[in-house]
Amino acid sequence: MVRIIVQILGVLVLLLLTTIVTLRMKNSGADGPSVLFPGGELVSGELHTGADPDWSFTDDVFTIELQLNDPMASRRIFVMESDGKVYVPSGYMKSFLGRIWKDWAFEAEAGNNLGVARIEGVRYERQLIRVKDPAIIEGVAQKMLQKYAPEGAPPDLIEEFRRSIAEDETWIFEMAPRSSES
Amino acid sequence: MSWKNYAMTCAGIAVLWAVGLLAIPAFAQLIEGVMLLFLSTQAR
Repeated sequence: MVRIIVQILGVLVLLLLTTIVTLRMKNSGADGPSVLFPGGELVSGELHTGADPDWSFTDDVFTIELQLNDPMASRRIFVMESDGKVYVPSGYMKSFLGRIWKDWAFEAEAGNNLGVARIEGVRYERQLIRVKDPAIIEGVAQKMLQKYAPEGAPPDLIEEFRRSIAEDETWIFEMAPRSSES
Repeated sequence: MSWKNYAMTCAGIAVLWAVGLLAIPAFAQLIEGVMLLFLSTQAR
């Protein structure tokens, strides 16, 4: 009986590992990420040029695809517009999960911050700049809660979110236009 | 099941599972959805 249980558990672990390895490899070179696994370079879609659009249209966009150039990989991510600028978050930054999952955020803060965002099929060349100004973060946090928190979220959830930003568990990046020196 | 037969069965299951994920997009999306659901319930 124990042997059968061990063998069944072994098959389940094998299926999980096979899934992770297969889907990770399958998506690594794809044009964009899947729901869970990072993708490759964003190559399809019109490349936006000229002045930035009115980013308020992202209020109706749940996730965007964000690619950083070094290392080249893309992922799905939340997006918030605040005060005419557009921002992306990265959570779990102080957890073990964050250290292995959110390597792109650490790379962006270290200076490898050039990338491309694809929003509703249009690509925008951007650079990620980490935001620490409390006034800006408050505006972004308000929008994030308004957009992504479940309706009727309890006050402790809201407070927990504010705390996660204040304690650097959640980082906020502005997706700024690339500077001419980039 | 003997361990030798078990190992061969595991190898066959792994190959079939991987081929299914690669060849059937709807299957891959279903599995990713299940994983996402599990992770989202464990996030807190």
